[in-house]
Amino acid sequence: MNSSDGTSGSNSTNSSNSTNSTNSTNSGNSSNSSNSSTSSTSNTNSTNSTSDGNAPNNRKRVVTEASTPVLEPTVNVDLTSNLENTIQAIKAVLMEDGDFIIRRFRVFGRYDAAVFYYSSMVDQAMINSSIVKPLMRPPGTFEGTSIEPDELYDALINQIIYHSDVHPEPSLSSIVEGLLRGNTTVIVDGLDEGLVISTSKIDKRAVDQPATEQVIRGPREGFIELLDTNISLIRYRLQTPELRINTIEVGRRSRSRVAICFMDGITNVDLVKEVKQRIAKIDIDAVLDSGYLEQFIEDNHYSPFPQVQYTERPDKVVANLLEGRVAILVNGSPLALVVPTVFSQFYQTAEDYTERFVMMSAVRLARLIALVFSLVFPSLYVSIISFNPELIPTEFAVAVAGGRSGVPFPAVIEVLIIEISMEVLREATIRLPQQIGGALSIVGVLVIGQAAVSAGFASPITVVIIAMTTIGSFATPAYNAALSLRLLRFPLIILAGVFGLYGVVIGLILIANHLLSLNSFGVPYLTPWVPGDLKGMKDLLIRGPLYRMGERPSFLYPEDKKRTGKDIVAKMDEEPYKVLDPVEVEKRRSQSDAKQQQPSDNDN
Amino acid sequence: MANRWRKPVKLAVVILMVFPFLAGCWDRLEIEDRAVVLGVSIDEAKKVTEEQEESEVIPNGPKTDMVHVAVQIALPGRIPLGPSDSGGGGGAGSQETLWVIDVIGHSIDDALMNLQQQISGRLFFGHLRVIVVSEKIARRGLENVNDFFRRNSEVRRMAWLLISKGNARKLMTAAPKLERVPTLYLMATLDEGIKMGKFPKDYIGIFWSNAVKKGQEGFLPYVELRKEDNVEISGLAIFKDKKMVGRTKALDIGAYMAIKGSNPAGYRVFVDLGGPKKNVMTSTTHRDEKTRISFKNGYPHFDVYMTIEINLEEKISDSVMISTTGTLKQVEETEKKMALKIYRDTIEMTQAQGADIFGFGELIRAKRPSYWNRKIRTKANWQEMYKEKATFDFHLTVKARRIGMRAK
Amino acid sequence: MQSNSNRQITTIESAAVLVSTIIGVGVLPLPLFAVRAGDAGAPLVTLLGMLVGFVGLALIALLGMRFPNKNIIQYSEDIIGKWLAALGSICIIGFFAVLTSLTAREFGEVVVTSVLKETPLEVTVIVMLLLAAVSTRNNVITFSYIHLFYFPFLLLPAILIVALSLKNADLINLQPVWGNNPSHMLPGVLTVAALFQGSFVLTLVIPAMRNPKKAMKASLLGMLIAGGLYISIVIAAVGVFGAEEIKNLLWPTLELAKATSLPANILERLDAAFLAVWVTAVFTTLFSSYYLTLQALSTLSRLKDHNMLSFFLLPLVFIMAVMPQNIISMYEIIAFVGRIGLSLTIGYPALLFIIALIRGKRGDRSNGKQVEKAS
Repeated sequence: MNSSDGTSGSNSTNSSNSTNSTNSTNSGNSSNSSNSSTSSTSNTNSTNSTSDGNAPNNRKRVVTEASTPVLEPTVNVDLTSNLENTIQAIKAVLMEDGDFIIRRFRVFGRYDAAVFYYSSMVDQAMINSSIVKPLMRPPGTFEGTSIEPDELYDALINQIIYHSDVHPEPSLSSIVEGLLRGNTTVIVDGLDEGLVISTSKIDKRAVDQPATEQVIRGPREGFIELLDTNISLIRYRLQTPELRINTIEVGRRSRSRVAICFMDGITNVDLVKEVKQRIAKIDIDAVLDSGYLEQFIEDNHYSPFPQVQYTERPDKVVANLLEGRVAILVNGSPLALVVPTVFSQFYQTAEDYTERFVMMSAVRLARLIALVFSLVFPSLYVSIISFNPELIPTEFAVAVAGGRSGVPFPAVIEVLIIEISMEVLREATIRLPQQIGGALSIVGVLVIGQAAVSAGFASPITVVIIAMTTIGSFATPAYNAALSLRLLRFPLIILAGVFGLYGVVIGLILIANHLLSLNSFGVPYLTPWVPGDLKGMKDLLIRGPLYRMGERPSFLYPEDKKRTGKDIVAKMDEEPYKVLDPVEVEKRRSQSDAKQQQPSDNDN
Repeated sequence: MANRWRKPVKLAVVILMVFPFLAGCWDRLEIEDRAVVLGVSIDEAKKVTEEQEESEVIPNGPKTDMVHVAVQIALPGRIPLGPSDSGGGGGAGSQETLWVIDVIGHSIDDALMNLQQQISGRLFFGHLRVIVVSEKIARRGLENVNDFFRRNSEVRRMAWLLISKGNARKLMTAAPKLERVPTLYLMATLDEGIKMGKFPKDYIGIFWSNAVKKGQEGFLPYVELRKEDNVEISGLAIFKDKKMVGRTKALDIGAYMAIKGSNPAGYRVFVDLGGPKKNVMTSTTHRDEKTRISFKNGYPHFDVYMTIEINLEEKISDSVMISTTGTLKQVEETEKKMALKIYRDTIEMTQAQGADIFGFGELIRAKRPSYWNRKIRTKANWQEMYKEKATFDFHLTVKARRIGMRAK
Repeated sequence: MQSNSNRQITTIESAAVLVSTIIGVGVLPLPLFAVRAGDAGAPLVTLLGMLVGFVGLALIALLGMRFPNKNIIQYSEDIIGKWLAALGSICIIGFFAVLTSLTAREFGEVVVTSVLKETPLEVTVIVMLLLAAVSTRNNVITFSYIHLFYFPFLLLPAILIVALSLKNADLINLQPVWGNNPSHMLPGVLTVAALFQGSFVLTLVIPAMRNPKKAMKASLLGMLIAGGLYISIVIAAVGVFGAEEIKNLLWPTLELAKATSLPANILERLDAAFLAVWVTAVFTTLFSSYYLTLQALSTLSRLKDHNMLSFFLLPLVFIMAVMPQNIISMYEIIAFVGRIGLSLTIGYPALLFIIALIRGKRGDRSNGKQVEKAS
């Protein structure tokens, strides 16, 4: 029902039914405030969306289907020129919220008027100085002249209110909506339109370093919760008219603004359409984080693997936009979503591209190894210890047997116990207040590990293996991917306990087959590895030089394929001119000497 | 929508149905529950005692000679993890880290089954590194030994099969001071021998391959236990049809390696430059070999062209001055004469046994297949021909290269 | 199953399908088969076997190029009429069902003999079969993706083993290249050729190829890679062990892995690790033959839902897999089935091709829709 074109009839029928039933169980005043927001939502659909949504019969249909009977008459009313009526109507909707303020005054000492706003969401100083003050005491040019009612509207808008964003609203519902967004409404007796002035000011934290995606080299800005700030972070990086940011509202009650960003002329048009459609399908009462959206728009809801990448780095979003992806931001969430996503994105970091390519290729390989380690290491350990000890060197095998000789459990159980306690420890460290979290994790690992070994509960090698695995899983830049691999580790360990190496491989085959059948918006999940894409491979295991990656990923079918200039590779491969090479310097000097001498020769 | 989750549900049902059938840990056997066999020795059972007779599990075995098998099992708890402070472990260490158990049986498997009756952990041969067989058993034939260890999938092809002079069991209980686990020391002796050029690569797998080749016989290291519980490789045990037929001296190993042209080289010999105390010591550093086959009177004749490079390492007294190329030439010449004699002796000895451990027959089979197909075809024919008809000529070039840091 | 209409399998992907289908459990006893036939000439035997195998594959490719929108079940109806074709198709379906079960059984035997000694054979067999059955739920595009993905995991261990063991190889063992007794080669060549039968799956791939004209190129490429790997494994095995020793070994390739250790003793022997990695190779082979069976069956019976078929067929295949009483009789059956299969996978396409040439039948693009429905 939040779809921008307002045509999702069947959906809204369902939701209206449910809303009705919940409302009927509530009674009296207490439920009114929540009802009001619901009703205004439904109304937004018709008014706020496309122009044809305003057609009376259309609006009627939506309202009767999706709203509460109690509020319907009030909300669906256009303003009358009577101020008192209007005040009553608004009061009826917003009731007695403590922070809702109605300030009555008189415009030019002649017309009754009132200002409405939520004191918690506005910049009160601005209201005082640029709205209330000029209205009460019009500027000098108006002195002495009396403004007639028929000139009033024009004068207010064009001459009196010192604010750039003022728009008249005829309907009660849009006024209420504006108020809820932190706008201020001025209603003057005798005018049948309210003036909605944007005065919203919501406290926000400063733009900070991204907490989970830190880099050594690269921008230090991360998204914050406020959508507008986030958009500004993107927009100042991409100062081109091609950047498109479309907003949709999602969430019946939260009515969160969702911004869909893409590059006009780069991003595949149909992809944008599909993203919008998937978002439009979402019908939930609140979207509190982009994670809510992710779970609605992903392709396979049962897969343990994330099919949408999230990031809190504006530079990463911009890079992805330029590759031809679509970014989705939600008001209230510092994490942007990027679609479509392929698996290789989960072990790439922004830093891969800011540092020189040889080093970062090596680092990326190390990261990939860590990722694989975090998945298979414990199960390999179990299968070698319990099934195939002949694989490891004899000396080591004998020593391992010595280390394990006091442990009462089979290796599978031992590893599972330590793994689970490691997960518990990890979870605890996240939940703990920051001040003691760090201390506990170190103490936990050292003390518990040591104690477990000396208590004969685990063998030292097991502890080493699990520690390496856990650290390996933290080396994966994407938390959600690391999480899924960590989860899949457990079935692998159990398979290893049943079938040894054979079981591990069976498990890996199952996982690989699943990965191969996954796709994100139709892009196979393991692209560019499978299906093979030689150009894409430059950015798969290694990171090729930037100037050689001249094409945007072809699997995204971008409208504009090239991202570098035509003969950049040739230019970069030219032998650079050695400006300060002594030979060159000498050559230049003698040339300039000759030049100086020539004119003198001529003179002679 | 229903379609979307019908798939996982179906999958879950299938997995749930199948899992109970699969949920058994049939083969899981923790490493510490395995009796990790590091070494096996096989001797002739001299007298069967009453007690041993009773421990027989199968009462009426085949009418073969009994074998006495000693198995060396690592005791997991005793070998410390990681580098320990005490280092070598000491002489008494071996008794603690390893456990040697004796058992007799009609065959190796029979003996091992009897053994399994006596210990808790399942015998695990995945880390079996050394198998020692006494000379007597070897002379009786290794078919049973070969068959058992080849059939067992756990046994590695990189294990060593040794022939011991005298009692093989003594090698199991020997406790050299250098290594925490004595068997590993034994193994290291041989492995290092390969690296130093003292011994050709002759793992059990290579022995098996060589022994069954039509134009070649197998050989094995022949070892002796010395006073300090150390092990000496004192020659090659020569086999013919899986039966040991003879042995060589230690220096013959060098001859063998020279004839095969295998590197690295590492044997040292005295070169007598004529006169008392005019001996110098040389070490071989590199060997090269090329064999030409020709036929004389319808029988194969081999011209073996060898090149060895030597370094001078030591002299007994200052009566010899190593300062001219002439002296080096002399060294080369003398060494050449000496070496040729050793080579000839070695070849003659193997010819006397009819055991072509060098694989000259293989050479014919590979290079002169028509002759092979016409005249030889079988292993027995080649053994006969090698013994009676094959002739050899050795051509040796010795090149003395370096004399060390001393100038004269 | 939505993207059948897309023809998006590339030449490399189809080559990968062929390679990973061909390379499977057959690699393990391959040197034994080859050596039994040709002694030191085993590589030659393998090469000849590969050429024979290629004849069958080339016929399939030619037929596929002639009828680019159809698989063999469909165009055989065009060529020899509905009833005769049905007979041929049933033979093919039956043969590949048997081939699937024998592959599963053979690998089960290997695993149970060498690694999981206490685990019941039935369990290892059913695990492999289930793995294949679960994976057959994918469409032909994903089918090719799966093969492409496992392609390197199949080549790398084999190449690694070959490379590491070549330093122990002795050229003498490989000479003379035609063996000491060349007259016995023919049965061995046929046995080796039978190992290439899985390549028949190309008939399913061609209708989804982006450019069916390149089917021949793909089959040439696939055959070269797979055959090259076969030959190099035989060379390594014969070079290291010598022909006579190989006759003593049931699975010489596995023994080769056992005799190989990674440098610096990271892993002291590779047999268990090799076998573990080889699970993927066996899986891809099983997957192909089972997929082929199912697709052919569903095409023939005009059933759309081959998922159900997959689980109906599974018990049947399983029972066939556990039928052979012991390992020796299993290998006898494999050899026997291989011979029959050769006449089927080479003779039948040859027959079809000749008749198609005579009758001048060609597939045309208007029939494309049928393919979509069926596959």
